[in-house]
Amino acid sequence: MAHGNHDALYSQLAARGVTRRDFLKFCGSIATLMGLAETAIPQIAAAVEAAALTPRAPALWINGGACTGCTESMAQGMTPDVATVVLDLLSLNYFETVMMAQGGPEMIPGYQEGVVEAKPELTAEGAIKTMLEEGGYILIFEGTVMTGFGGNALRIAGKSQTEELPEICKNAAAIVAVGSCAVDGGWVAARPNPAEGKGIQQFCKDEGIATPVINLPTCPVNPEWVVAMVIDVLLLGQLESGAILDKLDDFGRPSLIFGQTIHDNCPRRGHFENGEFVYEFGSAEEAKGYCLYAVGCKGPQTFTNCPIVRWNDGASWCVESGAPCIGCGNANPLSPGGNWVDVGAPFLNRMPDLPIAGTTFQPSTIGAAVGAVAAGALLVHGIGMKVAGRMDGGAPYEDVRAHDRKKGGGK
Amino acid sequence: MAHPAHYREAHPMVFVLTHWINLIAMVSLAFSGFYIHYPFFAGFMGVARGMHFFFMFVLIINLTFRIIAAFFVKSAVSLGSREVDTDIKNWLPQKANRHQFLAWIKYYLFMKKDHPLGAKYGVLQKIAYIATVPLTFVMAYTGFSIWGPTMDWSFFSAGAGWVGGYMYMRVIHYFLMWVFIVFTAIHAYLANVEGFAPSGLIFAWKESEGLHFDKEGNPAGGKAH
Amino acid sequence: MARVVVDPLTRIEGHLRVEVEIGADSKVSDAWVSGTLYRGMETVLKGRRPQDAFYVSQRICGVCPISHGHASTMSAEDTYDLTIPNGARLVRNIIECAQYLHSHVLWFYTLAALDYVDPLKALSADIAATYDLALAVAGKYAPAGFDVRVTDFGAVQKRVGEFINAGLNNNRLSIFTNGWLGHPAYPSEMPAELHLIAVAHYLEALQVQAEASQIIGIMGGKFPHFMTSVNGGTTFVPTEEKLDDVLYRLMKVVDFVNNVMIPDTLAIAPYYAKDYPNEGIVSSAAYGAGCKNYLAWGVFNDPSFELTKRYLPGGVIKGLDLAAGVIPGLEDPDPSKVMEYVSRSWYDSADGLNPSDGETSAKYVDYDVNGKYSWGKAVRYDDLPMEVGPLSRMLVAYLRDTEMQWPDGVRTPKQLIDLTLGALGSELGLTGPVPLAALQSLLGRVAARNLETAFVADLSVASVLELVGYVKEGDVKWFEPHSVSDGKGVGMWEAPRGSVAHWMTVEGGKLSNYQVVAPTTWDIAPRDKEGADAVRGPIEESLIGAPVMDPERPMEVVRIVRSFDP
Ligand code: HEM
Ligand code: HEM
Ligand code: HEM
Ligand code: SF4
Repeated sequence: MAHGNHDALYSQLAARGVTRRDFLKFCGSIATLMGLAETAIPQIAAAVEAAALTPRAPALWINGGACTGCTESMAQGMTPDVATVVLDLLSLNYFETVMMAQGGPEMIPGYQEGVVEAKPELTAEGAIKTMLEEGGYILIFEGTVMTGFGGNALRIAGKSQTEELPEICKNAAAIVAVGSCAVDGGWVAARPNPAEGKGIQQFCKDEGIATPVINLPTCPVNPEWVVAMVIDVLLLGQLESGAILDKLDDFGRPSLIFGQTIHDNCPRRGHFENGEFVYEFGSAEEAKGYCLYAVGCKGPQTFTNCPIVRWNDGASWCVESGAPCIGCGNANPLSPGGNWVDVGAPFLNRMPDLPIAGTTFQPSTIGAAVGAVAAGALLVHGIGMKVAGRMDGGAPYEDVRAHDRKKGGGK
Repeated sequence: MAHPAHYREAHPMVFVLTHWINLIAMVSLAFSGFYIHYPFFAGFMGVARGMHFFFMFVLIINLTFRIIAAFFVKSAVSLGSREVDTDIKNWLPQKANRHQFLAWIKYYLFMKKDHPLGAKYGVLQKIAYIATVPLTFVMAYTGFSIWGPTMDWSFFSAGAGWVGGYMYMRVIHYFLMWVFIVFTAIHAYLANVEGFAPSGLIFAWKESEGLHFDKEGNPAGGKAH
Repeated sequence: MARVVVDPLTRIEGHLRVEVEIGADSKVSDAWVSGTLYRGMETVLKGRRPQDAFYVSQRICGVCPISHGHASTMSAEDTYDLTIPNGARLVRNIIECAQYLHSHVLWFYTLAALDYVDPLKALSADIAATYDLALAVAGKYAPAGFDVRVTDFGAVQKRVGEFINAGLNNNRLSIFTNGWLGHPAYPSEMPAELHLIAVAHYLEALQVQAEASQIIGIMGGKFPHFMTSVNGGTTFVPTEEKLDDVLYRLMKVVDFVNNVMIPDTLAIAPYYAKDYPNEGIVSSAAYGAGCKNYLAWGVFNDPSFELTKRYLPGGVIKGLDLAAGVIPGLEDPDPSKVMEYVSRSWYDSADGLNPSDGETSAKYVDYDVNGKYSWGKAVRYDDLPMEVGPLSRMLVAYLRDTEMQWPDGVRTPKQLIDLTLGALGSELGLTGPVPLAALQSLLGRVAARNLETAFVADLSVASVLELVGYVKEGDVKWFEPHSVSDGKGVGMWEAPRGSVAHWMTVEGGKLSNYQVVAPTTWDIAPRDKEGADAVRGPIEESLIGAPVMDPERPMEVVRIVRSFDP
């Protein structure tokens, strides 16, 4: 790469108060997230530089039934900050929460009456239309796909979202599902799933759309993962080569980010092994940083690298603030009921409540009840045996088996 | 009074040992499992997990050994008999167990006065003992599915995906513990409710006299040879 | 007569549809606001544990999860009749403060600014003149002066210029695609240099709002969606080290609020407080008032935990009309006066229920502004629509000024409002301050939010210092152990965007009912009954009479809706 280009990039970065050091740190953190060795940093740096200087990659950020938390979360990313993502890496032509434009064709007076043409160049909705024609964009999907009430659980631009969504998915080069809602419906799809929410991968499957889906669960998504994926997909050309798909696990998640449990990397793990637990919030045990297992920590079965990447630019993370992991990264894209709320609640207990006959029970209650019934039955039976005089040696043996006797055998 | 005699041929020494190991492993696993499920006192998690990981292998190896041994070791063909044959034949349903299922149920529900005839074991007992084998393997499967070193083997992770994630695998493993506890309770109860002679044999290898039975599990009268 | 629909209304949390009718006088003559998303939170929570509601219910909104979380725990604590320890009170207050700082900064710069600032105009700014202007503004309004932050305006202009040039011809304008760049509603008198300053601060604000949420990160585990304010107190046990970290970040945010955000507000406001008849621009202080009923449950508990003694106190003002000199008495808020109507919403539950006995039974029928047209319920207080949000809170605090016990070292809402009206008066060349009545307008709503930011900045510093002292004393309680008991409870609180309340009923240790009235529910409320005498919701009402200079690009409409931060 020509030296002049380096300078162009660095002067751009300098305008934002980003030093070369910061930039390399950023490349380093991307390398870590992608599981590359430090030797890959120059390669990443070169790729980022190239991308920053070439036309931004086309992308759409579509919100389904979302709380906007994942967008908010993106805004909390600092290396690189959201401005870099939005201005330099991607051209997010549609991004409801931050885009300048608004409205759809109905905004143009007379359009509804059919006397005036739609003017897509004036509307937010128009940005999607243009992109659909171009194709080959990255679709970042946030929130749940709302299929309830014929899709009218979510209406955008005067129609249900699910009406236009298949085409948006079909024409995309790849779909990045950000946040647990996008992955498997999240809390929206939790029992009884009143708005019939589902994840975008399930939606594509149902619609017969083959666009690859990269799932990035947790509620909300951690911005660093999104950036790592975007760079992975875009800059290192892994989408074309198909290499990106090899890096996904059975749940469509990048294994490097979601390959180990929180418990595996938790700084409180030593206390876990020592059997040093917090049994009450805010207690002396918490002040000593003991393990949160006994107050329901879902770290042992939640696969994310939160303890390493942490949250809010590394400021802290759940367990560090004394809060047991609630397993918001548990997501099963193609398995209804696998959402983190149904799997994890009650969050302060170790195991989920199981729905039985219209209400719910803890597994320990069920287990103990079965145990108690068995014990009771044996006790009653024992009394019966005693009364029947069988305790000491049992009843006298039959001389011949009933079946044999019927067949005329026996004595 | 209808004790069958309990002779050492019924449970050769190896099986007394495997039973002891089984018992110790089970009790250790259940106790440590309970503790892992919820650490009801402080300071024991490392030990509990260590115990669990140790005894889960003990249990599996012991069971495997027990199964293999069944093909080589000879044991009594029926209680109250010194006649021996390859153990597996006596472990699996025998000719003498045929058509006796209902009779045993009725007996235990006090709907039948006479003690039904069995073979090496009664029908229900046999079903239970055989069932422990697959049950233990399912337990091992669910256990390995939630064990760090093996959970990402696709053989195990596929199962986790199928049941809806690792959390549910844990729930299943936990429920299976209760199944074992209930099995053991019933097993211990039935084995001892008509007298402690069977325990004397399986634990202390102590013989005791009683009724004799022939190869077909029919009352033979007199002493066994 | 023209029908104009803005759907999706962007740069807000969630999905919103706004339909207006524009009369022959080019003013909005009728309006319908439709919430277009139904997720069924209340149904999902039924049958679950009260201790789970904190985690799940905050996910209603990714922009104000903290406030929903707090309302949820407070409703559980109300059910159990539980008072949280003082340490937990302070921790929760600080987390909430940080969310206010985060949210208001984000709202003003990232969401709203583009309605008042044109990046295209910034390109023609003269760099030297920009520095002069920035110096002059800072000299007048920034307590710390200008030298504390030097922005490279030249580099910003170059970056934006390159971005727009490179993006224009190949459909790569990113989030500016199809934006109303060069819209005539930006007054031409507002200098290009001021546009450039604002654009530079737009970029800087992104860092600042993130800094504010890092405070939540430290004390709440993460943001959005935090973890620590569990029923009974907090799981966060502060150490001096952590509080140092909090204070360090907080001071950066407070510095930005006082030395950038407030000066920016005062520099831009005069251009929007004037009429420009030649350009067809009407002063933003002249329309957008709305229903003129204001509700605040109050936020930031003092040690008494009473609604009316909160640092931003609770209160209800019905029919305030400052311009006409009508100042009705202030009422104490009462949650039993909340009613929800659904005859114009996509539900078939009973009409007029108080949320403590509320129902959520969704049933969609075609969108029809004469029939049912929203997923939002029409929530009313004493049968009146209520505006909620910073304007309501600042007005209530203003009226309660003398009875309040303000924490040491804070500028009170009254002081902040009076000072600003004075400064604006002199900017506009008036002899005295701008009258208080100007608050009841589009501009007033925007200003109230920014002034509240300044108040919260002061309050947050005071609270952190109080907590630091408290921790030094040692032996602090953070959590009140308790058991789940049956009953009913309500938690009332304020999100940055307005009043929020959660109602729960616990039976057999599980939630048999859960109802949320979110801030946005109040503001985007549709009409409450059928027929001509149906009362419009607050945003609907505030749109009436708004001028629309270009119906194809109804800037005034979107400004008003966004001023509610829905
Ligand atoms: C009542 C008897 C004993 C008790 C309570 C005891 C306790 C301990 C404890 C608590 C440790 C530290 C473990 C750790 O956390 O790393 C330890 C380490 C050790 N013990 Fe013992 N111990 C006992 C008997 C013995 C005996 C009889 C031997 C050897 C014959 C022995 C050999 C060791 C060794 C080699 C270590 C490892 C030392 C190291 O850290 O390098 N202990 N013991
Ligand atoms: C047969 C082979 C077995 C294997 C491979 C196995 C493996 C495991 C593993 C890996 C764990 C998780 C421990 C941790 O993550 O710290 C576990 C937990 C547990 N095991 Fe086993 N186990 C076996 C048998 C048993 C048996 C026989 C019982 C009881 C009778 C039992 C009861 C439990 C219980 C109750 C837990 C706690 C589950 C929870 O609450 O998460 N396990 N087991
Ligand atoms: C409370 C503990 C236990 C007691 C008192 C007990 C007692 C006995 C007795 C008395 C017998 C001999 C039955 C007869 O000859 O009629 C027996 C056999 C047997 N028990 Fe147990 N048992 C216990 C626990 C277990 C456990 C935990 C298992 C496995 C999960 C188990 C599996 C077996 C098996 C498979 C046999 C058949 C013997 C063989 O062929 O190896 N037992 N037990
Ligand atoms: S706090 Fe949670 S993740 Fe950390 S060691 Fe304990 S159980 Fe594991």
